[in-house]
Amino acid sequence: MKKPKVAFFDFACCEGCQLQVANLGEQLLDVLGAIDVVEFREVMSEKWDKDYDVAIIEGSITDEHAVERIKKIRQRSKVLIAYGSCATIGGVNGMKNGFDLEDAGKYVYGKDYKFFPTIKTHAVHQVVPVDYFVNGCPIYQPELVAVLKAALQGIPYYVPDYAVCVECKLNENVCMYQRGVACMGPVTKAGCNSWCINNGNICYGCRGILSNPNESGAKDVIAKYSIPMDMVMNKMNMYNKCRELGENE
Amino acid sequence: MKDVQYLVLRKDNLSSFIAHLSKDQKVMAPVSKGYGNYAFEEVTSAEQVALKYIPTILPPKKFFMPQRETLIEYNLQSGLEVNAVLEHEKMTLFGVHTCDLAGIQCLNMVFSERPKDYNYLLRKRGISIIGLECNEYCDEYASCNIVNSNMPNGGYDLFFTDLGDCFVVHVNTQVGDEMVERTKMFEKPSRTHFDAFMALREAKSKIFKNEIPIEPRDIPELFDRSFDSEVWKELEQKCLSCGNCTNVCPTCYCFDLLDEMNLDLNSGRKFRKWDSCQLEPFAKVAGGENFRKSRAARQRHRYYRKFEYPVAKYSRFFCTGCGRCSRACMADIKLKDTLNALIKERMNKLWIKWL
Repeated sequence: MKKPKVAFFDFACCEGCQLQVANLGEQLLDVLGAIDVVEFREVMSEKWDKDYDVAIIEGSITDEHAVERIKKIRQRSKVLIAYGSCATIGGVNGMKNGFDLEDAGKYVYGKDYKFFPTIKTHAVHQVVPVDYFVNGCPIYQPELVAVLKAALQGIPYYVPDYAVCVECKLNENVCMYQRGVACMGPVTKAGCNSWCINNGNICYGCRGILSNPNESGAKDVIAKYSIPMDMVMNKMNMYNKCRELGENE
Repeated sequence: MKDVQYLVLRKDNLSSFIAHLSKDQKVMAPVSKGYGNYAFEEVTSAEQVALKYIPTILPPKKFFMPQRETLIEYNLQSGLEVNAVLEHEKMTLFGVHTCDLAGIQCLNMVFSERPKDYNYLLRKRGISIIGLECNEYCDEYASCNIVNSNMPNGGYDLFFTDLGDCFVVHVNTQVGDEMVERTKMFEKPSRTHFDAFMALREAKSKIFKNEIPIEPRDIPELFDRSFDSEVWKELEQKCLSCGNCTNVCPTCYCFDLLDEMNLDLNSGRKFRKWDSCQLEPFAKVAGGENFRKSRAARQRHRYYRKFEYPVAKYSRFFCTGCGRCSRACMADIKLKDTLNALIKERMNKLWIKWL
């Protein structure tokens, strides 16, 4: 079997997910044994001018240039994988959508803001069709490998559509709510093996909100632990502001 | 070995007892995790063990059927090469409460059914169990009396009862007897030991009362008549479907079977991991149909799997009264409250009939 041509691209992001790939360690050798990396700005300078078997996209779409670029990449790619919160759910870049775009431009670029036209932050699937999602900020390395294997086999990968609590309980962590800390685990999609909570941090909701959260139940819990509603919304919007844009703008 | 054998272990010998056991195998015991939480973890001395503890976050089932367990490894390189994987290790569980002993007994019944689950049974064979009696309720969530699991009913090799400065130890099996022989720290009990032991059991019968106003034998009938109860609809509003209640349950054993290929796409493994009927994808099948789409239906199913279906199949409740599901529920769905609400609704219906 010929090795598939794989390219990595980045849009508005911190490039941290690329670092996660470069930091796969020993497993990187297995990954490189299975694929032929033809473009990857973080680790190589070569470019590829033919079609891609797999394009792996980091970052969110935040201006018209990016819209054009991602559309062209999509046209050239058989399979497109969005990875990292910025690409899969908009991520922290989505916080811009809570402001007037002109105000945001002025705040960042001062009086010259008109030279830097911007649009609302979009997740990749809100602009072009996406075949696979690797959620997380940064991505959880074992999940990237699992998705890559699914893509190579041509089978679907199902992002767990249940709460982080499931994996957290299996890891036998003390619940953050019992420690008196508000955690986004109960409404956030699992798949990260409760990585943050295992290491003493809370869940920030970086993998996106469950497709069918129980809103009335969540409100009861928020009230039970006397958590201010605006704090919950801020926590929610830190990564998940782009969900307001819907599936395909 | 005699049929019934009681011995005494002085408390200041506990540390050397555990140290002795941990020399040739892992000893797992409840340890404090802070914030009033406990977990079964490996210990090497008695100082690490929480002798007074409320049920651990996960029950000891995690040693019998780990959260993730490889069952088969395969290679497609030259035809189909399949190898069964049977992982197991020798270990001793120390300090298992009677509710968890009951939970292990339930799982033993399930996994011994044909076709037998050899992965489970092989692990079970390597695990020795030392029980520990609860002299009083652990907290308000427990309901062990109504399901008759606050007293020892077998399922252990040794059983410890704390009498202050010593433990009275019931030797129940050959394995238990060997532990006694090997460690050589146990003494014959005196009359005073027996008197104190009997007094404790007497006191316990006054402390432990039915936690829910119903006779245990009437519970299956209550469930028979409660399938369309309003109580389930209330749970629909509350439940977050986080699966905490089933993951921490000592008798929930549902698992999912998954395949995982290696990057060579030639070799791989089949493994199982804990699944939960509370999760939305659990009863979803090809074509997108979901047999238990509503949270109400899923919660109801959980209760029926504790108080109705297993009574018909195994003649026992699959609730051990440990209270873990109530403790772990962020949405405050409490087992005792649910049963009380069902009873109340039933009584109201009966009154309406009579009036």
